[in-house]
Amino acid sequence: MITINNLSHEFVIGKKGRQTIIPVLKNISFKVEKGEIMTIVGRSGSGKSTLLNLVSGFIRPKDGEIWINGTKVSELNEAKLADFRIHHLGFIFQSFQLIPSMTAFQNVELPLILKGVSDRERKQQTEEMLERVGLLEYQDHYPSELSGGQQQRVSIARALIVNPPIILADEPTGSLDSETEEDLLQFIKELNRDLGITFLIITHDDKVAEIGHRTIELSDGKIVEEGVLV
Amino acid sequence: MKLRDQFRFVRQNMKKNKTRVFMTILATAMGCAFLIVLASVGFGLQKSVVKEMLEQRIVTQIDVHGKEVKDGGFRPINIKDIQVLEKVGKVKAVTRKIMLQQESTYKIGNYQEGAETYVSHFPSEVKAGFELSEGRLPKTENEVVVGYDFPLNLGTTDEVEDLYDNKGHVKKKYRYPENLIDKKLDLTVKQLKNGKHVEKKLQLTVVGIGKKPTREWMQDRSVFISDQVLKEIESFTGTPNGAILGPDEPQQQNPETNERIYDEVKIYAKNMEAVQGIVDQLKDKNYATYSVVNELKEINMVFTIAKAGLIFIGTIAILIASIGIYNTMTMAVTERAPEIGIMKAIGANPKTIKRIFLLESSYIGLIGAVIGTIVSYGISYAVNFSIPLIIKQAFGEEMPAGLTFSDIPLILPIICIVICYVVTIISGYRPAQRAVKVDVLKALRREV
Repeated sequence: MITINNLSHEFVIGKKGRQTIIPVLKNISFKVEKGEIMTIVGRSGSGKSTLLNLVSGFIRPKDGEIWINGTKVSELNEAKLADFRIHHLGFIFQSFQLIPSMTAFQNVELPLILKGVSDRERKQQTEEMLERVGLLEYQDHYPSELSGGQQQRVSIARALIVNPPIILADEPTGSLDSETEEDLLQFIKELNRDLGITFLIITHDDKVAEIGHRTIELSDGKIVEEGVLV
Repeated sequence: MKLRDQFRFVRQNMKKNKTRVFMTILATAMGCAFLIVLASVGFGLQKSVVKEMLEQRIVTQIDVHGKEVKDGGFRPINIKDIQVLEKVGKVKAVTRKIMLQQESTYKIGNYQEGAETYVSHFPSEVKAGFELSEGRLPKTENEVVVGYDFPLNLGTTDEVEDLYDNKGHVKKKYRYPENLIDKKLDLTVKQLKNGKHVEKKLQLTVVGIGKKPTREWMQDRSVFISDQVLKEIESFTGTPNGAILGPDEPQQQNPETNERIYDEVKIYAKNMEAVQGIVDQLKDKNYATYSVVNELKEINMVFTIAKAGLIFIGTIAILIASIGIYNTMTMAVTERAPEIGIMKAIGANPKTIKRIFLLESSYIGLIGAVIGTIVSYGISYAVNFSIPLIIKQAFGEEMPAGLTFSDIPLILPIICIVICYVVTIISGYRPAQRAVKVDVLKALRREV
């Protein structure tokens, strides 16, 4: 479960002495229940990416609290935050964020290496995961040798390999064609249904927003609408 | 993340930039080779000097020159001192010799030889390791023991030009042909009495011949007479130890046996480790001593300073190489920033990232150090082989036998590897810190 309490954030831009403070999020509060797909929509500059980055722990909030599964992540130090991420969070990025010099297998295996899982277990789990996303035969291919859809599946496999209870997705279909997008959304729904994984997805795509059990619309750093999927 | 996986990561990363990594390793190897070869000269020369010293001296031997008296001067060693010296712990033997203070000539038939004559204390000499090659020790007052080389220098009294061979011995054809054991030698002693030279002959029987000296270059032509024979000589010369008087020198009082002073006193320690302790004890008792250990200590100190200086100069080469490592690692961090960002985003611990980069820099350093060590062994061998040839060609001089110009003991590569490791860790630390501080969002957006 994710709980956001009175979250505010601002960016300071400009040179020293002529700095400008730009508020990005203004006193936001909401909850994502366990097993829920929550989508956050909004126009560019509305603060949705900043919100996801704050929940991910990539940036620190100016004010407010972020709780994930009973842990106040907004106060964790770098090392504890890294440890928290590897055990509780999976990430799907718009531009996949695969390491180009690693094969599909190595990219998926990476979180298990960071967790210190043994060689044998890693091989078995990675192969199972690649099979699950339908890419076992592509395991020795480098990202540049895969299509956009295949790369995003590798990215999802990497997110799923550590069995995270929560997956944070930043425009997951942003780099995909409509057919691949449909497949991916279906896959996300299956994962949510079969494994009970909680999803927090930010998007500006209505199709993506539609898979959410609830949707929040952000505008100018504030929640302007919160609705339940009918 | 397991250490094995970290090593795998490092190897993969190094493969990505083979040429750059190779050049950095090459620079480090050159620095290490420079350090080792430079310091090996210090080690080599020290080894040669110490070897030379140990070949010429007995390491357990301590010379006692005298005892300090109240006015700051020194007096010779007497029998009471010998008793004190013998009581010092870990002393194996105290040998003492009185030297006949005139040139002694020994003659048998048509053969004669000038030799140094001593009165020695055989029980302590035997304890110290004195051995006979043949015969026995003296039992009566007219029996003597001669050194190993004495029979080899007992030459004809006839005038010949080529008396000696290349070893410094009398040639066999001019040498006394028989075994000297049980042969009688005439010892001639002289004195100046009333302005005239007078001589006295004493007949002595050879009963033993000493063992060949262990050092190749040494010759032992001594003759060991008894205390009674010395007294007889003294009663003829009227001087202590048979000294010849000068033309205007007055008669001197002969010493009593218990007042004798010794010309040469040597202490033999039970082992080399005990030498320093004995020297310290004797120093406390105001005895002036000298041992090869003292000299070794001084020489080793000088060479230690020299070696430390050479290692310091060599370390500068490694420091220069470390700039290359710093540069390589900084570039590696910059190039791999997106990768670092991804790893941090999915949960890599900052310590793990730091360790991977430190491992990489130390990996480069250690490979460089190992290659440098192997190369330096080759250079050392080549130097030892070629320097004598070059000196011979350039200056027409032979190098002293057994001189080692360059020596690499095991400790030297260990020192080099440790220095190299420390330097590479230091040079890799800042890039590793940079890797830790890579901003995840900037890295994911490829902004770093």
